[in-house]
Amino acid sequence: MRPVIVDYDMVTAFGRGVNLCWENLLSGQTAIKRLSRFNTQNFQSQSAAAIEGLKVDTDESLVMQMLKPLLENRVITQDSFLVLATTTGEIEILERALLNNQGDYKKSNPNYLLDKVKDLIGVKSAVTISAACSSANTALGFAGSLISSGRQDCVLVVACDSISEFVFSGFSSLMALDKTGARPFDENRAGLSIGEAAGFILLMSAERAKKEKRNSLSELIGWGLSNDANHMTGPIRDGGGLALAIEAAVMRAEIQKERIGSICAHGTGTLYNDSMEMKAFKSVFENSLPTYSIKGATGHTMGAAGLIEAIIAIESLKEKVVPPTVGLRDVDDEAKGWVSNKTQKFDKDIVLSVNAGFGGINAAVLLQG
Amino acid sequence: MPRCCCKDKAKSIIVKGAAWINQANYGTTEKKILGSYNNIDDLYVKLKQEKVFLFPVKNFARFDFVSKMTCCLVALALGDANIAYQKDCKQNIGIIGTNSQGAVEANREYFKDYVVNGRKSSRANLFIYTLATSPLAEAAIHFKLHGPLFYESSFDISFSRLLQDAKGILRGSDMQNILVVENDQEKSACFVLSVDESVKGVSCG
Repeated sequence: MRPVIVDYDMVTAFGRGVNLCWENLLSGQTAIKRLSRFNTQNFQSQSAAAIEGLKVDTDESLVMQMLKPLLENRVITQDSFLVLATTTGEIEILERALLNNQGDYKKSNPNYLLDKVKDLIGVKSAVTISAACSSANTALGFAGSLISSGRQDCVLVVACDSISEFVFSGFSSLMALDKTGARPFDENRAGLSIGEAAGFILLMSAERAKKEKRNSLSELIGWGLSNDANHMTGPIRDGGGLALAIEAAVMRAEIQKERIGSICAHGTGTLYNDSMEMKAFKSVFENSLPTYSIKGATGHTMGAAGLIEAIIAIESLKEKVVPPTVGLRDVDDEAKGWVSNKTQKFDKDIVLSVNAGFGGINAAVLLQG
Repeated sequence: MPRCCCKDKAKSIIVKGAAWINQANYGTTEKKILGSYNNIDDLYVKLKQEKVFLFPVKNFARFDFVSKMTCCLVALALGDANIAYQKDCKQNIGIIGTNSQGAVEANREYFKDYVVNGRKSSRANLFIYTLATSPLAEAAIHFKLHGPLFYESSFDISFSRLLQDAKGILRGSDMQNILVVENDQEKSACFVLSVDESVKGVSCG
């Protein structure tokens, strides 16, 4: 059975809605700015792409504040299978327990969040998928497998992660943050900017979508997962792991690579990630493709990144244009001819979106318009 | 056009080997190994001496407890399945895992350390274990497993559910083997699922 995408929505630091993010990306805007949620003076950077209006001193977690407006009153049938992608979920529960002796830190277990999301949308079956910063793309691949194998015919992939002192301090300790804001594929890039986001993609078998008269917005035609088997925090330098994931996605899709029109890169803005990606792309594709990263605009939204980027990739398919890579000023030699700080047009009907995370986890998805 | 060798629902999948560790004992199913140990570092030394680990695990002493246990478990399971591994040769083997707590205890250890130290700096070596996939990734790095790697959980997830998902991944790929791991602090188990029909084993449907 073919998995098709019938609905999606998201919230990023640009605000609620796909169009808002898409338009801001096209016009080269960034949502990265000085962060006021907690004290950042001791950290490597003081900036992040935070969603305005989220309340930190309430019982409702940041990710639930993001998800509720997206998922309430959606048409999602009870027999849908929920796949939740996240890295830290409701981590502020643990923060409060340890900082203020308030509540039980064990309630930060993402399974509690999974139950809340289940209750919110009224489905019965669900799992959390976690694969570091490749969580959402892995979840999409997992959903694709469930549908193509006939085990499920409707899967809702929900992804979310928030900016927390927990995560911010961690990336700062790894010296992974760019003081001035992420500059993916720039020769002077110095690290990532943290962001937060939530979103969902509803997938159905083509048969069920037809039966329910749901429009197919895109088809998930391929997915590939791999591991570098090399290092916990750094990617393998030659991009071999990511290339494997891309090749696996192409094999599953049973397409010729020449049909792929553009690449939504992971593009964190770290020295090693961006270099690794370019090596992977060049090892897989004979000719350059319009390639971009949205993380200089939305920040690195961790467990939500792959989902947000898949949605943006679908938008790019509609208009056959990729957005400029925000933050990019001087293109790194390795990325020349591929990545640009201007929009780039393409004329194919398939796009690739990739992620790479800690532990060497790689995930690639292919979407067809 | 590339031909996909995957999507083969008819692939026969067997359990090629399995291992378990609880708080005092460990064992395997095919080779019927059974042993006891005092603590996880002792177990590692013992498994090295018995050549279950074919070469030392880099930085083992720095791993968190679950990562140490996961590496011991995978060493036992691969040995039970007669799958050899080498330092410089990666294998297309996947590893998926579950447990009841995710990374909650590692998260607590990391953030507590950060708070105790005045919220000014934190320890990167603790931060890297704040992902539920970190123990699986440590195993993948040592045993050179370059197939899919992810963590899956829910309050009502069963090991059989995880086995079903692993079978689905095997059937939809060109991999020959995938490891299915449950790595709780108190007890852990690892099954090696294989599509190799010639290998003697127990059919898991």
